[in-house]
This record gives sequence, C-alpha cells and structure tokens, in this order.
Amino acid sequence: MNFSEKLKNGKFIITAEIAPPRGTDWKSVIKGIEPLKGKVDAFNITDNQRSMVRMSSLVMAKFLLDYGFDPILQLTCRDRNRIALQSDLLGAAALGVKNICLMTGDFTSLGDEPKAKPVFDVDSVQLIEIAKILESGKLLNGKEVKGKLEFTVGAVYNPFAGPKVLQEIKLKKKIDAGASFIQTQPIYDVKVAEEVNDLVEEFGAVPIIGLLPIKSLKMANFMKSLNPSSVPDKLIEGLEKAMDPAQYGWDYIIDIAHAVLEFGRGIHFMLVGKTQELANFIDYLRNDSPYNHRF
Amino acid sequence: MVVVKIKPLSEILKNLRGFKKIAIFGCELGSARCKNGGLKEALQLKNSLEKEGFEVISVKSPGGTCILEKVSKPLLEIEKGCEVVISLACGAGTQVIAENTNLPVITGVSTLFIGAEKEGKYFDEYCIACGDCIISDTGGICPVARCPKSLVNGPCGGAINGKCEVDSSIPCIWYKIAERLEGLQKLEVLRERAPFKDYRLAVYPRKLEVEETT
Ligand code: SF4
Ligand code: SF4
Repeated sequence: MNFSEKLKNGKFIITAEIAPPRGTDWKSVIKGIEPLKGKVDAFNITDNQRSMVRMSSLVMAKFLLDYGFDPILQLTCRDRNRIALQSDLLGAAALGVKNICLMTGDFTSLGDEPKAKPVFDVDSVQLIEIAKILESGKLLNGKEVKGKLEFTVGAVYNPFAGPKVLQEIKLKKKIDAGASFIQTQPIYDVKVAEEVNDLVEEFGAVPIIGLLPIKSLKMANFMKSLNPSSVPDKLIEGLEKAMDPAQYGWDYIIDIAHAVLEFGRGIHFMLVGKTQELANFIDYLRNDSPYNHRF
Repeated sequence: MVVVKIKPLSEILKNLRGFKKIAIFGCELGSARCKNGGLKEALQLKNSLEKEGFEVISVKSPGGTCILEKVSKPLLEIEKGCEVVISLACGAGTQVIAENTNLPVITGVSTLFIGAEKEGKYFDEYCIACGDCIISDTGGICPVARCPKSLVNGPCGGAINGKCEVDSSIPCIWYKIAERLEGLQKLEVLRERAPFKDYRLAVYPRKLEVEETT
C-alpha cells in the first residue's frame, strides 16, 4: 500500500522529511534515504525551507519517484503567485507526484536571501482551495484543464502557535478546504500529541504527529528560544544529565512515537539523521510491536 | 497619514551641488505631524544649509503640499531669485511642486508609509492601500498591511506568544484581531474562508475620479 492508500484505509503512517540539496547533487540525498526504502511511507520534500535556497522541491520529488520512493511535495506561498503555484501543481500532476503538502512558508527575511521580494499572493487555505479547483478540472480563472489531476492534499499545524482560537479556526478551514492529512510541528509531550491528534481527527483529517530528535542541549535551547512552550523542562533536564545527549534525544522521541502508536494515526520524522536507527525502529514496529497489525 | 523620514544632511548636500539659492517647502499636514518635514524641520534645515554657505531665500510649509491651490501661490513667489527647491513633503506633495515649477526640485525626505501616530512619537504602518479593504471582517484591524505575509485567513504557524515570526519586536496582528473580535463576540466572521484578493486593485498607478453631483 502506498501513502495515500494507507491514508484512506486507516493504516498507521510514517513519513519523514528531507531537503533538496544546496546544489545539484541529488544522488547523495537519494543514497542517504536508501535504508528507509519500503519502510517510510512517504518523504516530504521541503520547499526552500527556512527561506534558504535549495534545489527545486518539484525536481527532487521527481527523482524520488524515479528511485521508487513516494514523495510528498511541499509547496509554499512565499515565492510564487497564483500563476506559478497552479503551473507547478499542473507540472507535479503530470510528473506523477500525487501527494502535496501546502503551507504559507517562512518569511523571506529569515533566510539566506533576505533582500528577496516575498510574494504571499494567496495563503495556505487558498492554496489548498486552488489544488481542489484544479482537481475539479478547472483553473482558478475558470478555464478548463486538459487532462486529469488527482492529489492527496495535506497541510501543517503548529500546536504551539497562537492565538489558539484562530489557529484552530484556520486548521479547520484547511481541512474543510480539502486537506486530508495534517502534519504537525515537532511535539515533545505525549499529552499535547494526543490533544492535537483528537483535534485533527474531530475536524476530519488524518493527524500525523511531527517528531524532531534533539541532538544537543544547544539545539534544545535554540528550539526553546523559537517556541518556549514546545520544549518541556524535563527534556532540557534530561539532556543536561545525559552522557550522550544525541542518544537521549533520540530515545526521547522514540518513547513519544511508541505512545502515538497507541492512539494516533501517524508519525512524521522531521530529520533523518539516524537513518539506520529509524529503519530498525520501523522494522520493530512492523514486526514485533503489539500494534504491528495496524501497519 | 503619510509618514516620511527626513534624509541625512549629507545626502541633501550631495543633491545641492552646483546650487546656491534655495527655497525650502515643508508640509504642515503630513510631514509636520511626524516631525520630519514641517515648518520646524524646514527652519532647522535652513540653519544647517546656511552654515554650509547656502543662501535660503524662502521657507514655507503649507497645510497640504499635495494640493495645488495650497502651493501655487508660494511657488509663484519663489520663481525669481531661487535656483532650486527642496521639498520635505511626501512623494505626492513633492511631485505636485515639481510639476508646477520650472525650477529643479529635490526631495529632503523619503516617504515611508500610510500610518498611525502613537504618543506623538511612534508611527506604525496601518494600510498599504490594497484597494479592496477587508477590515470590516477583521475587527477593523488590517492583516493585509500589519501582517508581513498579508494573510487573510488567520495567523501563520510562526505566531508564537503574540510575537510575529518576521520580527519579534512587533506583535502578531492576528492576536489583536482575535482579542478585538472576541470582545465584540464576532469571532464567527473568521470561520468563513476569505476570498482571493483582487490584486488588480493594487496595481499602480491608480486613479480615482470623483463623479459630479448635482
Ligand atoms: S485591507 Fe487594504 S485598504 Fe484596508 S486597511 Fe488593509 S491595506 Fe488598507
Ligand atoms: S506571526 Fe502573525 S503577523 Fe507575523 S507573519 Fe505570521 S501571521 Fe503574520
């Protein structure tokens, strides 16, 4: 079963995130994820993440397809107006890229081309609407699209952003507009993961809980500076005490992954550093865990 | 109001090369209000220029430099004996002067934005004149101008603790919108998906024609 079939059939989903190269060497990216082939259901390909210039996510998605991986193409509103967004979505469909994850995007000034002119012609909710309009056989302007398109549309949700009431309203708008799965920002607390899981399910989409292994105390403090409520004190304390912080950080999110397995629908690994460990973990889930029937 | 910022003297001096006799125009409506180009600043500039050896033959600051009736007479008065006009009015006012005099015109300010005044000291951008005002649906607070991403369906995922992802020294405007709409018990207006904005209405140069009424 591929990603979208598993989504429809209520199977447990594992996705992971990769960035296209800062250059043309896409082969090393493919090589890096080779141990995860057949284990991770789909790979999100980030779109100039954190406003840093990288190879086109659409081109990288096509390479993944060619090498037998299922890509989730991320597309942001930062660099493209509604003409370019539709054009890329048509191109994605033609290349056979079926899964898309649509989002606003980080602001230009935060990246490595801070002088760039940001676009933000439409927002994430509207971009989801655009994908659905294309699927209905039309362009946004009403003109007919030749050929059929079908996407599995996803979106993102940050449970630590505010104001809560508006974030939830926006999440619901995304799902009502046609997002069938929601990948979250990194979560380090089982209770939060469960709440988010329930919220997304209640709104009618499949929640995929974001997990990002913390490698060091420095990284934890950086994450905390961006988003204080997302990093619990017990994680910081654990990292302080740990002999091997990277291992501690990994074990920490694996514990959360086990918990999500009990109540949730999917996990999204936002960094594939420990490729072999991740592969081993997925093997365990599939074969030896008490929940293996859900995969 | 239109908010302007006075240019550094060094830049003004660079543009004055080759001239000696100067007329200075401020604007009492906009530039004076933000203390960057009214009569007071025009007089200060006069002092600085005189110290540099220039001859300032006239300083004026009409209430509304972008209104031709307000500037046509003062412009006539300086026509003789003056070599150059320095305008401290906004881009619109300065162009009205330039279109109505044969003298060269240089600007002493940069025009920043349409803003609001706080405590006579701070000026914040409130409107980018998008041509299609939506603030009736957002509690009278503008997310098009006051959210750097101009988001119309709610905040982005970078809105943390009331601060904006783009610059943590500014608030995420969606917090203010939420607060206001909750107070008015009008939050439900945000449950509707916002229509795609018609950016044709923001394509410049724009024009407004006032219809004759009888
Ligand atoms: S919606 Fe447009 S016109 Fe209205 S305040 Fe905002 S920028 Fe100005
Ligand atoms: S944090 Fe708020 S104001 Fe800043 S870009 Fe995001 S939505 Fe806009």
